[in-house]
Amino acid sequence: MADLTVDLGKLTLKNPVMTASGTFGYGFEYKDYFDLRRLGAVVVKGIAMKPSHGNPTPRVAETHGGMLNAIGLQGPGVEKFLHGDEYMPFLRKSGAVVIVNIWGKSIEEYRDVAARLEAEKEDISALEINISCPNIKEGGVAFGTDLNLAHQVVAKVREVTSLPLITKLSPNVTKIADFARAVADAGSDMVSLINTITGMAININTRRPKIANLTGGLSGPAVKPVAVRMVYEVSKAVKIPVIGMGGIMDGDDAVEFMLAGASAVAVGTAIFADPYAPLKVIDGINAYLERQGCKSVKEIIGGMIR
Amino acid sequence: MITGEIVSNTILKDSYYKVEFFVPEICAETQPGQFVHVKIANLRDRILRRPFSISDINENGILTVIYKVVGEGTEVLAGLPAGTVCDLMGPLGKPFSLPRENELPVIVAGGYGSAATYLLAKRSPVKGILLLGARSEADLILTDKFAAAGFDVRLATQDGSHGHKGLVTELIPPLLKEKSGQKIRFYGCGPTPMLMALSKMLQKNGFGDGEVSLDHLMCCGVGACFACVVKIKTDNEDGWRYARTCKEGPVFTADEVYTDGE
Ligand SMILES: Cc1cc2nc3c(=O)[nH]c(=O)nc-3n(C[C@H](O)[C@H](O)[C@H](O)COP(=O)(O)OP(=O)(O)OC[C@H]3O[C@@H](n4cnc5c(N)ncnc54)[C@H](O)[C@@H]3O)c2cc1C
Ligand SMILES: Cc1cc2nc3c(=O)[nH]c(=O)nc-3n(C[C@H](O)[C@H](O)[C@H](O)COP(=O)(O)O)c2cc1C
Ligand code: FES
Repeated sequence: MADLTVDLGKLTLKNPVMTASGTFGYGFEYKDYFDLRRLGAVVVKGIAMKPSHGNPTPRVAETHGGMLNAIGLQGPGVEKFLHGDEYMPFLRKSGAVVIVNIWGKSIEEYRDVAARLEAEKEDISALEINISCPNIKEGGVAFGTDLNLAHQVVAKVREVTSLPLITKLSPNVTKIADFARAVADAGSDMVSLINTITGMAININTRRPKIANLTGGLSGPAVKPVAVRMVYEVSKAVKIPVIGMGGIMDGDDAVEFMLAGASAVAVGTAIFADPYAPLKVIDGINAYLERQGCKSVKEIIGGMIR
Repeated sequence: MITGEIVSNTILKDSYYKVEFFVPEICAETQPGQFVHVKIANLRDRILRRPFSISDINENGILTVIYKVVGEGTEVLAGLPAGTVCDLMGPLGKPFSLPRENELPVIVAGGYGSAATYLLAKRSPVKGILLLGARSEADLILTDKFAAAGFDVRLATQDGSHGHKGLVTELIPPLLKEKSGQKIRFYGCGPTPMLMALSKMLQKNGFGDGEVSLDHLMCCGVGACFACVVKIKTDNEDGWRYARTCKEGPVFTADEVYTDGE
């Protein structure tokens, strides 16, 4: 077995594989499948201040090599997350490394969620700031597609917490490296990418959009080349660790992201096909390292040869 | 996740097929109304599993699914020969509750709904009635199996070829008259408009308890992704919430179903 531990600044993980937010619930849903301690980290579905209904249905559509989703961040709100049986109290008992993904409709809401989690941060290893949702106050512009807003969100969250901060970048921008620089400058300890790519699908028989929200985010194997390119660009642009995701189905896919510069990876849509996918990715990375004669996974980070 | 070998996979009638998987682990735990989430072997370029109700199980570890070919996944499934191995998750979801000794079970079904309620009929302590609706003869499946299980089978077809000409829910008022004084427990499974009509009737008239099995697009099948939600009446500010059909359902009580669409 190769050494799979990775260092993400202040955060050390036993292996580089996490779950992608929104695809693994709050860990609870998969408790009967495997021991959550086997994962590098569990990243939970996005948490906001208040409970939210999410979008009307249909919320998903299968596409070639992937899927579109517009779940709309349905969730319990931070209080229930901290104290409800199926959420943080369960995760505490499970012994998993927990990363809490957060979102808000205003800069203040991001700050308030982070402050609330900071106040009960025992067993929370990091926060991941999802800046891909629209800012209601600024007329729906996504925080993640406006350099200024992205910087402000991270800076405000930074003021209220000492937890390691990961900022999750949107791929729906022209130069993603600029966003990585902006959030690093605002105090983010890491970046993760990519979130889903905005897409659309129409049922030609009914002539209606396949998703009630009209547009949805594309994920799965179809997005992988775009994600690898973006991870490469970002890892060249910033010094902070990069967490890569987008279409990872097996260990070889994960290795590709790491060669492009990612220090860790997340598995998302693949979990819907196979709940054990994250474990298979861990095994696959190890098999690759052994094939290549590497003692540690750290040897392949940014290891692409040109 | 469990690997299940296909024991047989044959045409049942028209576009309906019957597939049998050898999955003793799933059979041992199955209750009526639950489903399996199947990764269809050889379905290239498609990542999601397909949910199918468990129609029947037996003591030899054989689980039966009756499915209608409606798209790419079911088309590929129909072509899989015996011996093919598929990944199955299950049994998933909340089951139907069995009728009590003093209740007459009335199953209202359409489409694959009779297949999805067959195990319920088989396990029901009281032999009841199946009201089965279809557009035409092609969609009337499993009537012989229900009859063999002791159920009184009554049909409704839109083209009038079999039984009552019209909608299956139109069979309910005369049935109530006939069985007046009896406690009835309704079970619904089939097209959404039919289930909405049934739930509405039960909510308005209160002539019995009812449960309906709702069919929604699913991804994870275990409550993690919030893809499969349906509006359910709830005691909160808004009067409703989005419940996950894969985990909190697919069976809901007719009382809690939001009948104004979705
Ligand atoms: C709890 C439950 C139980 C079910 N039981 C049965 C059963 O016993 N027999 C049966 O024939 N069918 C059943 N269905 C419907 C069955 O899942 C779909 O017909 C099937 O997924 C269609 O797949 P496809 O690839 O052929 O269709 P496509 O249209 O090509 O599928 C595209 C996508 O849409 C999804 N989808 C399409 N139609 C449905 C639908 N009606 N419900 C849910 N997802 C859908 C598919 O899973 C896939 O992700 C059930 C559905 C649910 C939710
Ligand atoms: C159903 C679904 C729900 C998601 N929910 C969230 C979320 O709540 N917060 C978030 O930051 N990303 C969310 N994502 C994005 C994923 O975390 C991930 O960035 C993206 O899907 C790409 O990875 P993948 O191709 O491995 O799925 C969601 C993705 C899917 C498919
Ligand atoms: S299918 Fe994922 S929550 Fe129901």
